Amino acid sequence: MVDIRLRAVTKRFGDTVVLDGVDAAFPDRSFVVLVGKSGCGKSTLLRCIAGLEEVSEGAIEFGGRDVSRLAPRDRDVAMVFQSYALYPHMTVRRNLAFGLELRKERREVIDARVAEVAKLLEIDALLDRHPRALSGGQRQRVAMGRAIVRRPAVFMFDEPLSNLDPALRNQVRVDIRRLHDDLGATSIYVTHDQVEAMTLADVLVVLDRGVVQQIAPPIDVYRRPANRFVAGFVGSPAMNFLEGRIAQNSERAAVELGDGARIEIPPGAGFERLQRGAQVIVGIRPHDVVRGPEGSLVLPVELVETLGSHVHVHGRIGDMPFVAAFEGHQGPRKGERLQLTVGELHLFDAELGVSLG
Amino acid sequence: MSNLARWVLRLAPLLWALWLPSRAHAGAASERIRLWHAWRGEEEAVLTELLTSWDGTPVEVLAVPYDALSSKLGSAIPFGEGPDVFVDSHERLGEYQRRELVAPVGDAFEPGVFVAEAEAAVTIDGQTLAVPLSLKSLALYVNDDLVQRVPADLEGIAALQGALPAGVVALAYEANNAYAHAALLHACGGRMLAPDDGFGLVGPEAEASLEVVLSLLASGAVPSEADGALVTNLFRSGKAAFAMSGPWLAADLPTSLRYHVETLPVLARTGTRLQPLLTVESAMLSPNGADKPEVRRFARWLASATAARRRAERARGVTARNDVPSDDPIVRAFLEQAGLAVPMSTSTAMRATWEPANKALRKILRGDAPVAEALAEAEHRFALVMRAPPAPRSPTLLLLALGGFALMGAVLLGQRARTAGFRDQVRRSIPAWLWLVHAVVAVGALVVLPLVVGAATSLFAGPPGDVHYVGSANFVDILTARGGPLFASGSFWLTLVITVVWTVVNVALHVGLGLVFGLLLARPVLRMRAMYRVLLIIPWAVPNYVTALAWKGMFHRQFGAVTGATMALGDWLGIAIEPISWFSRFSTAFTANVATNAWLGFPFMMVVTVAALGSVPKDVLEAAEVDGASRRQRFLYVTLPMIGPSLIPAIMLGAIWTFNMFNVVFLVSGGDPDGTTDILVSEAYRWAFTRDAQYGYAAAYAVLIFVLLSGITRGLDRIGARAKAKAAV
Amino acid sequence: MSPQETPSPRRKGWLGAFAIHAVLLLGVAFALYPVLWVASLAFSGSATPEPRVIPWPSEPTLRHLQEVVGATADDGGETVWIFGRQLLNSLVVATATALVGVLIAIPTAYALARFNFLGKRTGMGVLLATQMFPAVASAIPLYLILEASGLLNTRTGLVLCYASTAVPFAIFQLRAAFEAIPVDLEEAAMVDGATRLGAFVRVVLPIARPAIAVTSLFAFMSAYNEFILAATLLDDSKMFTLPVMLQRFVGEYDARWEAFAAGALVVSLPVMGLFYVAQRHLVEGLASGGVKG
Repeated sequence: MVDIRLRAVTKRFGDTVVLDGVDAAFPDRSFVVLVGKSGCGKSTLLRCIAGLEEVSEGAIEFGGRDVSRLAPRDRDVAMVFQSYALYPHMTVRRNLAFGLELRKERREVIDARVAEVAKLLEIDALLDRHPRALSGGQRQRVAMGRAIVRRPAVFMFDEPLSNLDPALRNQVRVDIRRLHDDLGATSIYVTHDQVEAMTLADVLVVLDRGVVQQIAPPIDVYRRPANRFVAGFVGSPAMNFLEGRIAQNSERAAVELGDGARIEIPPGAGFERLQRGAQVIVGIRPHDVVRGPEGSLVLPVELVETLGSHVHVHGRIGDMPFVAAFEGHQGPRKGERLQLTVGELHLFDAELGVSLG
Repeated sequence: MSNLARWVLRLAPLLWALWLPSRAHAGAASERIRLWHAWRGEEEAVLTELLTSWDGTPVEVLAVPYDALSSKLGSAIPFGEGPDVFVDSHERLGEYQRRELVAPVGDAFEPGVFVAEAEAAVTIDGQTLAVPLSLKSLALYVNDDLVQRVPADLEGIAALQGALPAGVVALAYEANNAYAHAALLHACGGRMLAPDDGFGLVGPEAEASLEVVLSLLASGAVPSEADGALVTNLFRSGKAAFAMSGPWLAADLPTSLRYHVETLPVLARTGTRLQPLLTVESAMLSPNGADKPEVRRFARWLASATAARRRAERARGVTARNDVPSDDPIVRAFLEQAGLAVPMSTSTAMRATWEPANKALRKILRGDAPVAEALAEAEHRFALVMRAPPAPRSPTLLLLALGGFALMGAVLLGQRARTAGFRDQVRRSIPAWLWLVHAVVAVGALVVLPLVVGAATSLFAGPPGDVHYVGSANFVDILTARGGPLFASGSFWLTLVITVVWTVVNVALHVGLGLVFGLLLARPVLRMRAMYRVLLIIPWAVPNYVTALAWKGMFHRQFGAVTGATMALGDWLGIAIEPISWFSRFSTAFTANVATNAWLGFPFMMVVTVAALGSVPKDVLEAAEVDGASRRQRFLYVTLPMIGPSLIPAIMLGAIWTFNMFNVVFLVSGGDPDGTTDILVSEAYRWAFTRDAQYGYAAAYAVLIFVLLSGITRGLDRIGARAKAKAAV
Repeated sequence: MSPQETPSPRRKGWLGAFAIHAVLLLGVAFALYPVLWVASLAFSGSATPEPRVIPWPSEPTLRHLQEVVGATADDGGETVWIFGRQLLNSLVVATATALVGVLIAIPTAYALARFNFLGKRTGMGVLLATQMFPAVASAIPLYLILEASGLLNTRTGLVLCYASTAVPFAIFQLRAAFEAIPVDLEEAAMVDGATRLGAFVRVVLPIARPAIAVTSLFAFMSAYNEFILAATLLDDSKMFTLPVMLQRFVGEYDARWEAFAAGALVVSLPVMGLFYVAQRHLVEGLASGGVKG
């Protein structure tokens, strides 16, 4: 119900800069996912937005209102913690009602809302239990219920699925997205899991060392990563990187790799401005290669992983590790030398790592 | 909020109960006469009864434990608090006069009505400082069923021993108490205090008197190690033909016992009578009280003939008046004895003679040291206590140093304050400070401030009321053992060694017992776990002075349970085991202390162990088991290292508590034998409260204890940190 | 350590269990004997100086108990049940000490557990130092301070002294207990709409209840058992606490052991009762408490 703006948000702990001038705007009702490696500042950013940490510089606006100096309770946000943070001394019912009680809601309203949420999350049978008597999945649902019951303007999720087993994780992930769509609030979700990030997000924010690397819809982040970090972080298996030099091959541009192999750059990919001889990093997603006798890359097979629908083939090109993914379940054998044709490729500046696209 | 309100309502009556009586008391105090005394039993009852017939200002009475009376007076009267009138023994007058705790009694003293000895006893430098109430001295109690004809001399009494039934002693008295021994010393021509206020229990007369006691003990005519309670018990139960005791014994004797009292016998070898020390129990007036005519009238009334008669009738009080004849033969006998007694000196040196004299007596009677040597040692000890306080020093150096430190601190603070980060830190600290400002005030005012002042006392010396700055003289004295051998008995260094041994042994026992029972209690399968836990925790729940006194009783040579157990064991085995006199040897006295303290402290460690074991993850133990570790190896290499870090703080705390465990040492062995089981804290206590109130010296001990403990804990802390780091890997 | 892990035959397990119970019973005997001994002395009518081994009263009587419990004193003409007054004093003083001490310690411990602030390290150092300085030297200055503030000879003054002495230990205990509570819970409460104080009162305090109970018990005990300060600071037998009364029974010249034992028994009962109630929490309270690093 609000749009969120971050204006040059900076957070320091002592001399350590954890967030460095984060600028962003998230439209109302969007599902924002903050993603990055551990220690990248994503949790701190979430806590700053929630009000659990005070920003050192910059401003956070909810619906045009500066909330940077407000206490969490005055920001109309709700949060699902990684540990769930259920109050151990209260029953599930009181856990759900606590926030409403603090806001001095009328008893009937509280009861009605708790019942409604419990039903929605299918935890109505657990209402009189204490958290210690619940399973991990049940606790997670209670934690979500506690956030939902307050009908806040912004939902915060701090790695809410990391304590669940994988099967449950997929299930709850879908539930979360469905709830978001039904409730119509703005959600901010922190994860280091790129599957969650890709599947859930309307807007993906990739952070590294306190600096925003890219803000875009997930598919754009996947297709057009802003830099080598984003490219390597998003997508599974991760993008392969090879070192090379721009070379001119008759009419088409190409990249010459260290061992002499050449990869032609498809026309219209936006790489025309590249200077001949420039050092680049070539990024190739494992799914973007095709086997064929005319292939320009040769991959000696070291290891084959069979996933059922796919096979992943590991090897080395030059001295760089390389993974190729093929559909089907019939993989090459160890020791074979595969000839690969590159489909889509990405080029990054060898020094700065920025995308040259 | 409603919760909070309910709590406040619940607390209100409690706060009311705390506040109201203190107010009422404050209002009433000024209109009453306040009387302090240490009387008990019959004597106390007589006082209560007497007061109902007093027609003046109401009297507020406080019965103070005898041992606490003088220190309470000393801490109250100088501040205008405390009693108007108090009843104490005359021999403390010298000290009270010096400390201005008493004032001349003026018209409270009725001239001409008191016996000469009493009048002389309460007069110092021509000033009458107290009103005599009653006379106390030892006399001879005779059991008329056991004794037909009283022998003429002490030797004759001792010779009866062979003729008495088994288990009956000829003469019960506290042979190892200097107060009782004084009677013999006087008979040998000695005095407890030499004319020049020097130590009296030394020299040929003293040695002769001790030879007498040694021969009495050797013949079995006198019980060894008798304390007051034992003398009472022996005579009361017909197990002593004679007893040398004071009027208080009569109150404890049943009417069924046939006995009489007469004056102490002659010592045949010198031909002189045994002359006991005479104490004149007197009413003394604090300076405040002496100013008030009503208080003086009250004191005069307390010593009046009516009151004296009542005391004589009800409590066999031996009146100090010469105009109240008594027809009670016991009172008459004590009165007669008073005339043959030696009044105790009022000199302040008198008080300092008891501790060394008692120590020497016990040492000699146990046969631990030759007579002359032990007495010489006692004289040396006396001299240490009585030595002149160190010379005053100029505090300039201290003030300069303090000023320098303050200046340096201010400069450093100023420098820090100028940095930008500092102001930011202050700003961010303010909310946290708000959470604890009240604690800072409370702990600061009532814990830290007294502590700092106490520590500062260590730089001063001199009698109370006349202290002066002496710099580090107290510390130098302590650390150099005042020029004597560094490891002599009672010296700081020897006491330190004992304290360290005491702490190590105790903590080891606490941890050992705690681990054993903790591990057993933490077993997954154990029947009656709850019962065991409750019962094993009991020692923790008993107040520790009760524990200490109970154990002292159990180690009592005559009626203690431990003695009984060893004797029963001896009977069973068919051998005669001499009852062990637990407090006469260092090893046994120390053992008794340790047993008490081990009992007291192991439940804490046990509970800590159980708590720590709860945090050992099961999978690690299982991993060790899979790796082939035996149960013993699992304990040694997995459990122990993992609970170690949680045990170390508890051990540290336990070590601090044990290091300063005053109650056990003071109440169980009392430092016996010969002060060897004293630890630093009890030594400090003695300097403050039993050795001429040398607070500065005691404070220096306290500071040294503090320094030592800081060092030890820092060391342990480092070990703890290392153990923690190891366990975390 | 479960029984099925030892592959040895059942007989050995049975023997092991026997040994364990034997050791525990030995410990129980050791723990209980002195208490029973005191009890037997308290109920003994005969006072013969015989060594008693079996803690059973000879010539059982309630005389000593009656004497101690029924003690009265004269208060300006009217007779007051002095024992009752002193028992009440002890209970009131100890309860008030526990309340005041823990109330002082709680916010401080919380601040030490959760905030970083200037003076934190120094403060902790001073707190630890107070535990090492023997009370012998600070008793007299304390007397002066109470005198100056008009609190001498009042129970309020006594309570303040006890409470302040109990505070450092209580702070150590509670700080560790608070540190063991996940910060998430308070943050969740703050996001839910609580202030910092609200989160503390409604979330942290209820969770720390076992530790608070155990800490209160310790403060209660320290006050209930203390007698040196009480004997020094109080000047009115109607305000005395029980230990001071007990001390009078074992004077220098005539120790009334039976009366002392009877009194000791009565004095110990309330604390033992409290311990019995609290013992379940003791392990829990200590596990999260100060004695754990």
